[in-house]
Amino acid sequence: MQNAALLPIAPELVLLIGMLGVVTSAVLLGRDRREWGLIAGVALAVAAILAVMQWLLLGGEPGTLHYSARGLSIMRAPMVVMDAYSAFAGVAIFSLGLLGLLAAWDLVETLGDRGAEFVALLLLAVAGLHGMAMSSNLVLLFLSLETASISFYVMAGFTRDRIDADEAALKYFLLGSLASAVFVYGIALSFAAIGSTTIYGAGGIRDFFSNTIVTERGVLLVGIVMIIVGLGFKVSAAPFHQWAPDVYQGAPGGAVGLMAAGVKLAGFIAIGRVLAAGFAAQIDQWASIIAIVAGISVILGTSLAAVQTDVKRLLAYSGVAHAGYILTAVTAGIFGISAMLFYVTTYAAMLLGAFVIAGVVTGPREGPSSFVQWAGLRTRSPELAMAMAVLLLGLGGIPFTAGFVGKIQVFTAAASAGYLWLVVLALVTTVIGLYFYLKVIKVMFIDPVADGVGPIEASTTARTVFAVAVGVTILFGLAPWPLLDIVRDALPL
Amino acid sequence: MAEFVVFAVFALAALAGAFVMLVARNPVYSAIGLLTTMFSIAVFYVLLDAHFIAAIQVIIYTGAVMTLFMFVIMMIGVDRDEDTSERLPYQRPIGIILAIGFAGVIVVAGSGAWVTGSASFAVPDLNGTIETIADELFGTWTVPFLGTVFLLTIAAVGTIALARYGPTGPRPVDDGEEPT
Repeated sequence: MQNAALLPIAPELVLLIGMLGVVTSAVLLGRDRREWGLIAGVALAVAAILAVMQWLLLGGEPGTLHYSARGLSIMRAPMVVMDAYSAFAGVAIFSLGLLGLLAAWDLVETLGDRGAEFVALLLLAVAGLHGMAMSSNLVLLFLSLETASISFYVMAGFTRDRIDADEAALKYFLLGSLASAVFVYGIALSFAAIGSTTIYGAGGIRDFFSNTIVTERGVLLVGIVMIIVGLGFKVSAAPFHQWAPDVYQGAPGGAVGLMAAGVKLAGFIAIGRVLAAGFAAQIDQWASIIAIVAGISVILGTSLAAVQTDVKRLLAYSGVAHAGYILTAVTAGIFGISAMLFYVTTYAAMLLGAFVIAGVVTGPREGPSSFVQWAGLRTRSPELAMAMAVLLLGLGGIPFTAGFVGKIQVFTAAASAGYLWLVVLALVTTVIGLYFYLKVIKVMFIDPVADGVGPIEASTTARTVFAVAVGVTILFGLAPWPLLDIVRDALPL
Repeated sequence: MAEFVVFAVFALAALAGAFVMLVARNPVYSAIGLLTTMFSIAVFYVLLDAHFIAAIQVIIYTGAVMTLFMFVIMMIGVDRDEDTSERLPYQRPIGIILAIGFAGVIVVAGSGAWVTGSASFAVPDLNGTIETIADELFGTWTVPFLGTVFLLTIAAVGTIALARYGPTGPRPVDDGEEPT
């Protein structure tokens, strides 16, 4: 294992090289050629294969730490951790990135000679997302978070001819910067209380808690709360969700799927790493905070989604509720990690699929996606309507979909941690949530078509993405055991 | 005691500078407020025996970056006051109340013990010399240092992507002149 010192960061290096290849080829070959799409796709695929190699090389071992101070016999302040958790996250994130590139391709085609920058930013964003999963140090975690976030701020504002895209990008940037500032303040305060920003290794956060009886928690607790607030913003958990509907609605339709799904996926993986692995000893302190945030999220998300008349806003508010469902698993600490991973992976695929269909229905550059545009989708494109119906039922948690299995997993985890009130609350909101998912299905299948709209034809790239998403939804709904076996092993070091 | 007095004075100066930066109507005042904050932070570094970082802070931030800011402000024009009228009437009082509450939480939390146990590894002896900083930066912190590569690349690529979009649509690649 010591010989493979570059392997933990190899996916990032591949993506960086791919990004440079994209920009260089855009300059050398001319910007109207589309070779850089192929380069980006290959880079993402190689990164995914490298993550699979990480998983296979670990072979069930707990994991290894990398990049610490040189020449020290004791591993001090390791920056990067390669464990089953980060390897699984890598496979999920890079696969999602590849799907996101395909989903954004309709948009890239319309961007003209600015498409290369978009693809380059997409690669950098995906590298940042994986960086969040492999960071063993809160400072590196913050850097990765910013790498992903700032790329997405720019991607949200790519269609500058629409004023609401500018608004979405600016709102995302301002609120995201505030959340990042809160996150950094949280890191600083927890550093003040502990004396280290590193999770693993001698003198790290875990080491500190195993050697020290913490008597006065003031600063530490405020630090943990602020870290939760910062990461809660990124995964749009209530009450830190206000940006999500406007950004999802305003950002270009082709880009929003990866923005929404990728940040959720990596954000929850980071939450799992920091709370369940890093601050595991303080679970009595933060589990109740997480439970309260989860409770607020499921109530607010469900009730606000029910009154929406725009599919993207509806998906945004339902995303708040889903953040709540996923957080119910986090209350169980390390025992909820597998459930969380199953839920967030399948949810990310379903969300990306739903957004790519929204992009096809209302246009890859467009933002708002009101119900009027969806009316009678069955007659305009039976294929899109069926795929969207399956994805919505999956998001709603109907049996024989991945969403149902995921919900059982996270609710079981929360119940075993003793948060029965939260499970009951989440079950009730799940049933209420079915209402607005079925409402969209009713609009697609029963409402009459608006005048003057013709049939819709999905491009091959978009079709690939939602076919995969539908496949994930049904396959892991009918036969979840292979993935359940994998996530059971994908625990942080 | 002297150290505390110096810290208190410059901490207040840093906060005042940040406040002025946010509320000043004239962008030059905002820039000077930011200058005050950055200079005060340089003084903190001196108090922490990080003399090299303090020098870097003064040279790069209060020197180079602020000069750039002033240059841009002068280019855009200083006579334009920003319109700071608000359409949400309760926003400001609620913001002030929340800010005071937040400050209260920090003060209450910070009035207890800070490092709640003995730090289990010795903090390296940072005398503020270039050698020790370089050793930490390129030894322990190599990966985060290289991680900033990604951020700087995003800044370059993102700026080109957003700024090349003119009022009439995307500008052609070889357009060297500003469209009027």
